[in-house]
Formats: sequence, C-alpha cells, structure tokens
Amino acid sequence: MIALPIAQAAVPRGIGLLEWLGDLDTWLGPDGILSSGLDTVTLCAAVMGTGILLALPPAALLAHLRRGELTATALVTLGRAVPTFAVAALLVPVALRRGWGFEPWPIFLALLLLALPPLYLNTYTAIRHVDQGTVDAARAMGFGERSILFRVEFALAISVVFTGIRVAAVQVVATEPIRAFLGGDGLGRYVRDGLGQNNETLIIGGALLIAALAATTSLVVTLLERVTVPHGVRRLRLQTASRRGSIG
Amino acid sequence: MRITIGALLVAMVAAAAVLVAGGGDDDGDAEGPTIRIRGQDFSESVTIAEVYGQYLSARGYDVSILTPAGFRTEAIEALRNDQVDLIIDYIGGELTALAPDAGIDAADADAIIATIGPVHEAEGATVLDYSPAIDGDAFVVRGDSEAQTISDVAALGYVFGAAAACFERPQCFLGYTDPGVYGIEFSDTVTIEFGPLLGEALAAGEVDAVVWNTTAPQIGVQGFRVLEDDQGLHPAQNIAPIISSAVLEAWGPGLRDALNELSALITTDDLVAWNIETDLELRESDDVAREWLEQKGLLAQ
Amino acid sequence: MIPALQASNPIVRWSWFVDEWDQIQAALVQHLELTLLALGLGLLLSATLAAVALRYERGAPSITAGAAAFYTIPSVALFGLLVPYTGLSRATAVLPLAGYTLLILVTAIIDGFRSVPAEVREAASGMGMSSRRRLLTVELPLALPYVITGIRIATVSTVGLVTVAAIIGQGGLGRLILDGLRRTFWTPMTIGASLSILLALALDLLIYHAGAAATPWARRRRA
Repeated sequence: MIALPIAQAAVPRGIGLLEWLGDLDTWLGPDGILSSGLDTVTLCAAVMGTGILLALPPAALLAHLRRGELTATALVTLGRAVPTFAVAALLVPVALRRGWGFEPWPIFLALLLLALPPLYLNTYTAIRHVDQGTVDAARAMGFGERSILFRVEFALAISVVFTGIRVAAVQVVATEPIRAFLGGDGLGRYVRDGLGQNNETLIIGGALLIAALAATTSLVVTLLERVTVPHGVRRLRLQTASRRGSIG
Repeated sequence: MRITIGALLVAMVAAAAVLVAGGGDDDGDAEGPTIRIRGQDFSESVTIAEVYGQYLSARGYDVSILTPAGFRTEAIEALRNDQVDLIIDYIGGELTALAPDAGIDAADADAIIATIGPVHEAEGATVLDYSPAIDGDAFVVRGDSEAQTISDVAALGYVFGAAAACFERPQCFLGYTDPGVYGIEFSDTVTIEFGPLLGEALAAGEVDAVVWNTTAPQIGVQGFRVLEDDQGLHPAQNIAPIISSAVLEAWGPGLRDALNELSALITTDDLVAWNIETDLELRESDDVAREWLEQKGLLAQ
Repeated sequence: MIPALQASNPIVRWSWFVDEWDQIQAALVQHLELTLLALGLGLLLSATLAAVALRYERGAPSITAGAAAFYTIPSVALFGLLVPYTGLSRATAVLPLAGYTLLILVTAIIDGFRSVPAEVREAASGMGMSSRRRLLTVELPLALPYVITGIRIATVSTVGLVTVAAIIGQGGLGRLILDGLRRTFWTPMTIGASLSILLALALDLLIYHAGAAATPWARRRRA
C-alpha cells in the first residue's frame, strides 16, 4: 500500500460532476475539498484582516481632513488595472531565491494589493460625503475632532465601508485560486488539475466551489454588517448620500 | 466644426483599420489556402513554429503565424475546430493525449506514429515524418543528489514537483509511483507550472526532483542532472508536423516534401541551442528562427 | 547565471521596446479591441437586464444576484471551459469578459434610474410628456452620471482582465506578460503591465471627459 497523496492521484476522466461531489473521499483527507477550502479561507481572512488594518485608518483620516481626493481615484484605477496574476507570478521567483518558499508571501501580497483599493476608496468616499451640516452640528455641540471622526463620520459611513469590505472580500476569494498555479494548493487546485489534465468535471466542480465560497463570503459580510451597524444609522441610511461614488 | 469632427472620426477609423489590417501581406503567386501555424505557449514550441513558418513562407507558401497559446490540448482542439492548419508537436505527448491506453512500446517512435496517425487521419489531419530532434521527458535532480538512475530515488524520500498533467499520466507520476515500474514513495508532491519555475523550485530546495524536458537549457546552467530512465518509462518525444489534410491536399505533394525535408534537418542540438538563445540570452524566437534558417541556406530562394 | 541575475535582464531593456515595437503595437491594438468589444456587448446586455429589473421590481434582486454569481466564476476556469466550444477564438475571450462587466453595469444603470426623484418624474408627466419622452429627455440624463461611473469602473477592470485571456492567445498586452513569465524575462512583463495600466488610465480619463461633456449641468452644480 503506497501512501499516495490523494489530490495528485488522478480523478478518472469519465466521472460525472455529481458523482465526484458525492464521493466522500473528494471532501475528506489532507487534500480534500474541506482541507483545501480551509487553506483558502485562512489566507483570505489574513489578507482581509491586514487590508482593513492598512486601508481604513489612513482613508478615514484623510477623508476627515478632506485631503487626497485624487490619490483615492488614482489608487482604485491602478489597483483594478494591475493584473493580480502577473504580480503574484513576478513575486514567486523572487521569494524562492530569498528562501521564503512558494507560499505564502507572493500570493498574500498580490491579494492584498487587490483588496486595498476598494477598502480605501469606499471608506474615503463614504466619510468624505458625510453631510457637512451634520459634522458642523456635532462640532457646535462641542465634539472634539476625534469624536467627530469616530462617533459621527465613521458611524454614518459604516454601511458604505462594509460595501467596500464585501467587494474586496469577494474579489479576494474569487482570485485566491491563482495560488494553485503558483506552487500552492487551496481551492483552486481542482481548476488547475482540470485544466492541466483536460478534465472538465474538475474544472466545473472547482469553479462551482469557488463561486459558492465567494457567495458565502458576501453573505457573511452582509450579516456582519447587520450586527455592527447602529440602529439609528440603519434608519438614517436611506437619507445619506452614501451611495455616491461607492463601488459594488 | 461639424466637418472637422467628422474628418477626425474618419481619420481615426481609417488609422484603426490600417493598424488592424497591418501585417496582412498578399502574395500574388499563392496557389492554395493560407497555412495557419500556432506554437504552444513555451519558447521551444514558439521557435519551432517560427522555423516552419518562415521556411514555408520563403518557399512561396502563404503562411500566417498566429500568437502562441495554450498547450497540447488547445493545439489539438484548434486543429479539430479549423482554427489552425499546422502544429508541430512531440509524438510521445501526442500518444498520451490521444491514446493513453495503447499497449505499445512507447519508446518506439514508429509505433507511436502508427498509433496516432490514424487517430488524426480520422479527424482530418495528417501526421508527417517525425524529425530526429527529440525533446524528451527528463527526471531532474540537483547536482549533489546521490541518485544516478530514477530507480535510485525510491529510497530517498524526495519531494516531487511537476506540472498538473504529469500526475495523471502512466509515463509520468503514475509510472514513478507504480510498484510494477519504479515504485517510488515521494514524501510530498508540489504542482508547478511548466517552465522556469521548475528550476527555481529545485534550486531553492522546495522540491528535490522535477519532471522537465531534456532540452531545457537551465538544467546545465543551474548544475542539475537528468537521471537515467533505467526502466524505460519515458516515451519517444521526436517532433513531428501535424497538418490539416485538406490544406495538404490543396497545396499538393510539394508541401509534404518541403515539410519532411525541413524536419529531417532539425536536430536535438538545434533545439537546445534555440532554447539557450530564447530563454537564457532572452532573444526573440522569430530572430532565432530566421538566423538558423539563413545559416542552413533555407531562406535563399 | 540565472537569467534574472544577469545584467542583460534589467527591469526594462529599452532596445527590446524599440526592436519589438511591431509586437507591442499589435498587442496594444488587440487589447483595445477586446476591451471595446467586451464593453459594447456588456453594455447591451446590461441595459436589457436593467430595463427588465426596473420594470419588474421583484425580478431586480435575482438579476443582480445572477450578475454577482457570474462575477465570482474564476476567469481562468471560464476561458478553459469555453475552449472546446469556441476554440482559441476571439469569442472565447469576449464572452466571459462581457459577462464580468454585468455586475458593475447593471447595478450602475439601476442605481442611476432609481436616483431620479419621484417628484421629477411626476413633474415631467404632469407637463404632458409621454413615458418614452420622459425616459429619454428627463430620466436618462439624470441617470447618466451613475451610468458613466459604472462604465469607467467596468472599463478599467476589463482592461486588467483582458490580460488573463493571454492563456488562450487573445490577451493583448497579456501576451507580453505571459511571454516574460515563461522566460523569467522582466522587460516584456514590465512593458505589458505598464501599458495595460496606462491604457486603463487613458480610457478612464477619456470616458470621464466624455461624461462631463455629456452632463454639463452636473459640472455647473459642482462649481
């Protein structure tokens, strides 16, 4: 009995999609869907956590100070136009030569670059477009600048900030599978193996799994938003100009 | 004002049309359909496509060399869909793609042609004479490895790296791990895009063995070694042109002869030399192809 | 001796840019063609879908959800899946690219028309406008800024996505990037990626100005 790594043992060519998804071995084991999915979720969560920490504070601060409008637009354009795969693939030989291995740095940095623009832009736009009258009223009521930023502007902008988080998260989850083409595994392994082995079941199955995870991600962020957004703001939401300039 | 905008629009459209149409040459003495050639997405295949394309073009054939794309699957698919007329492929790879379960001696090039020829014939394509040039499968290790043959690897607990396609092939991963052939137990496996990343991973120690191709110039440069295939698992990998039968017929026997003459002239050393120029000296495939053809006197007409 | 460590492999080798200008120009033109084809088709589809969503309010969530679901299909997989049907043709590249614009464009068009205040619509009807005339002369101009923002975002993302289609030989500048990746040759990668970004910025600016010219009232209000 040879200890064959499961995912590398080829999936039979004739197998149907339902048969493949219905087989318990497809899901379990060190290279099964559950374990690969967990790899993907872990990386995406790390990327999103870092992205939020890096993008939100400067975006909120600059918007509060009403500076850097052009930077925001340029950033989002750049971020969308740079091909993520090229970035990640460029970083792989660099990482290998430095002895960092295939993972996780190249794919992590490439995905972070993808996540930053929507996070930054939505936060910036949302806070920038909080009604100036409301801010002035708070100032008149004796709020300090810090309180204005956190308790007024950020609170009012939060649902658009969440839109940015949702867009970024969905893009990161849907793009993470390129990792499989760069010496890693994760949920993209099925699409990669399907393409390499000319096995349509694997390509479709893999694409479905990724799409399902992306949809779930979108749902989870929406639920998080429900929990986080203050009651008063939720009622106010329709009245704010929050939709302007936001993406997604 | 209207007129200027109108004129500007016309000028823009005209400029775009010129740009789009640019490169389309019309040979007056063409007596057959345009022969569309497409290389696969790696340098050697791109250079080979340029060599065959420029050669035919110099002989008066109407040739169009398309943007390289995809690998064997896409190449065969495109031939079937009439989106390309001529591909030059490696016969052992063709065998595993078209008749993976054929019980023939895969090291015998003639046996392979006898097997894949009819498969292509049934789909409207003809396999021409194979070239002496071979780009075979290579089981590659670092220079300091204790192994001399692939069998030696069985006891070493190596981490194995290869492209996705290798993992389902009897002449590749399945053969290395099959107890009836090599019976190697790898400690881990990594799927790596085919190309220079294989060498990078090997050099970085991420993997201990990779499946590459024998003409990859990095093998010598980076101090790697190709292990001997002592069980004779790897198939013969000569290059051979596969051409749409309709196009072949339309041009008559001259085309067949011309292609066969060229194939006979290309050697394995030429493939290695081309790869050194494109992948190490970073020159362009079309220039490399033209210089080789000039040197052989094949462009002088 | 590894390619990337040689002096002959700098970030950009300018002589390559000059020598290979034909190839670069062809890639640029193909990139532009693919982007425009995908956007045109995407806009046509989006307008239809948005019209349905606006007429039948109940259908709106499922239409945007459908567009969102399409957006999550990995592009590499989609291109690969289409190859057996449409081969290495332009259609194989354009169909998925158009599909990826739907989410952005449909949302933008719906948002735009929904932003037209009910009072404005009522006033227009009150002035005796037919619903078609109201749509074309009142609602469309008011919705235009949203639609133009949507087109800008869709354009920029499409320019980036086209590069992925290089795997099926239809990638425009993506071909240069892929060529560089296959040989660890920085020059084509740098040039391909830079030109792709420049193209995105240029198109974005062009549409922004076209949009500003088409909606002069918005500019006046801003000033």
